[in-house]
Amino acid sequence: MIEIDRLMKKFKVDNPKKLSQQDKKDPRLQGRFFHSVRDVTFSCERGEVLGLLGPNGAGKTTTLRMLSTALTPDSGSIKINGIDIVSDPLLARKSIGFLSGATGLYGRLTGRENIAYFGQLNGMADADIKKRIDTLSERLDMQSFLDRRSETYSTGMKQKASIARAVVHSPKVVILDEPTTGLDIMATQTVLDFIRDLKAQQIPVIFSTHHLDEVSELCDSVTVIDQGETRFSGSYDTFANLATGEAAGSLHAAFMQTINPTNDARA
Amino acid sequence: MWLVFLKELKELLRDRKTLFFMIALPVALFPLIIGIASYIGVQAVKDVQSRTLSFAVIGAEFSPNLLQKLTDVEQFELVSLPDDIVDDEAIKAYIKAGNLDFVVAVPNNYSNDVLTVGQVALRVFLNDAGLNMVNQRLTDIVDEIAKANQDVAFAGLQLNSTQQKGLLEPIVIETVNVADNRENWGEKIGGFFPYIIFILCLQGAMLPATDLGAGEKERGTLETLLISPIERYKLVMGKFFTIAFAGVTSALITVVSIAVWGLILSQGMAIEVVTDFMASIGVIDFVLIFLMLVPVVAMFASVLLSLSIYARSFKEAQGYMTPIVLVVIVPVLIAMMPGIELKGIWAWIPLTNVALAIKELIKGTMDYMQLFAIFASTAIIAGALISFCIYWFKQEKVLFR
Repeated sequence: MIEIDRLMKKFKVDNPKKLSQQDKKDPRLQGRFFHSVRDVTFSCERGEVLGLLGPNGAGKTTTLRMLSTALTPDSGSIKINGIDIVSDPLLARKSIGFLSGATGLYGRLTGRENIAYFGQLNGMADADIKKRIDTLSERLDMQSFLDRRSETYSTGMKQKASIARAVVHSPKVVILDEPTTGLDIMATQTVLDFIRDLKAQQIPVIFSTHHLDEVSELCDSVTVIDQGETRFSGSYDTFANLATGEAAGSLHAAFMQTINPTNDARA
Repeated sequence: MWLVFLKELKELLRDRKTLFFMIALPVALFPLIIGIASYIGVQAVKDVQSRTLSFAVIGAEFSPNLLQKLTDVEQFELVSLPDDIVDDEAIKAYIKAGNLDFVVAVPNNYSNDVLTVGQVALRVFLNDAGLNMVNQRLTDIVDEIAKANQDVAFAGLQLNSTQQKGLLEPIVIETVNVADNRENWGEKIGGFFPYIIFILCLQGAMLPATDLGAGEKERGTLETLLISPIERYKLVMGKFFTIAFAGVTSALITVVSIAVWGLILSQGMAIEVVTDFMASIGVIDFVLIFLMLVPVVAMFASVLLSLSIYARSFKEAQGYMTPIVLVVIVPVLIAMMPGIELKGIWAWIPLTNVALAIKELIKGTMDYMQLFAIFASTAIIAGALISFCIYWFKQEKVLFR
């Protein structure tokens, strides 16, 4: 399981005067620092899929980047199976699989070489890598294009190869940052099937998204972040029941309710 | 680290654009361009030499001998001037109009008897702006006549050959150059060599550097790479060695290609001079030259990689790198200037001191203790730049801009 407790991250603003009017109104801007993530707390159990929701600029990507150890939090703790990953990022990286919608492949390498490279970076033996790629390519149905240069891939093929690359080292936790943004329906389905597959293997998955239908389809628990703070963290059922009255059961209304609790849910 | 190096190298070798700039361009294209240019040049000179030039002589009656000799030249064709062309202005206009190629004006005091008339001035009107080689061919003819006249005069004065020589050139200066052949040539081309090598290394390293830093960002592969469980310094060193390797390789390929093509094109003309010169430098000095280049290439590679990873895109990276060429050219140009030696302040300016040291090595006049000091100081700078590059690769504000 993975536990995130009171995570904080601020960025230095080089020239506060240059920011737009809207940015200046953001309460997270204090002096020369922009407190992108102020207080984010949630946890994800074994075999659980957690959906991370929030408007653009809420701090989702920053949070996930801290989870993936790409960024170091200013304070707070991240524990995977009880081990603090902030103090030992190198160890943590072996147990994390990370994929974002913007992730690319090395175009001049074949899909197989791309996947193998990350296997090697993770210290896997060549024989293990080969075996693992065979398993993954069968599961994701990518034998037909695996040995072609990845620059010739379609979006769906790229996404399959990226998925295989992200889990080649059999991670204990998988983190996905808007994995379906910009994908067509087929490619999206590949990603959703993949998440379901991970869930069946009891691997916790944390993914951020703007698509509420994906949340209802896959998620066991939901966390909503706004302005760098956790606004809601709980089971999917609790979240879905937030909306009351005419909009009862609507995830959309529930989401609006968590962000603007004072307003009417339908606003 | 070698894992990263090998993968980057593999990717580099599959990139047609990089390969083209690194190998095809220096091996085939540059020599081809130079070859074509020199062929055209030679051809143009040949054309001019074989072209028939028309000329006229004013005052031919004063020198039938000269006139005869001029008409005897196969490519000279005598034409007569119209009667109305008499003064200088008219002659000038006539030549400018393209009616003939040159006019020789013989003065009325022309004589073969030097002792009586003294010096004779022939005036030649020609359009010297184009390539026509009139002067050269005229001088050959006139010199022959002048020499004959001289001999007649000397004979009349009854001078022996020693006196004749003394009279023609009473005092001559004989220079005794204490520099041997190697030092002499080294001074002439030794400054040029580091200049070419530095620029080639830098150019060769630039393209891969852009790809390995900004390219990763642009393709969205950087984040994944950063969160893979490999220590950051290994990642940086892998990329660093790829860039340095590419720089050195492309420089070597170009130099070898220039050398090979030079030998082929010159077709053994000056081979002896070149081989003698090369042989005089010696293996140890060549090795030392190469060793001096190592920290320089390391400096280039780490600076380029730092700039590349800071840039958000290919375009931005190229923008940052262009001024680097200038920063490198200036100190090396200083080393090329005559009179600048490896002394005083120049021994302390990075790049300039290396360029000067390479020049001294080629000349064979290097103080090896100083060489060690320069190598050490350059290596320290390179080391500092590499450490900065590693530090730079750990900065969130650099990676996620």
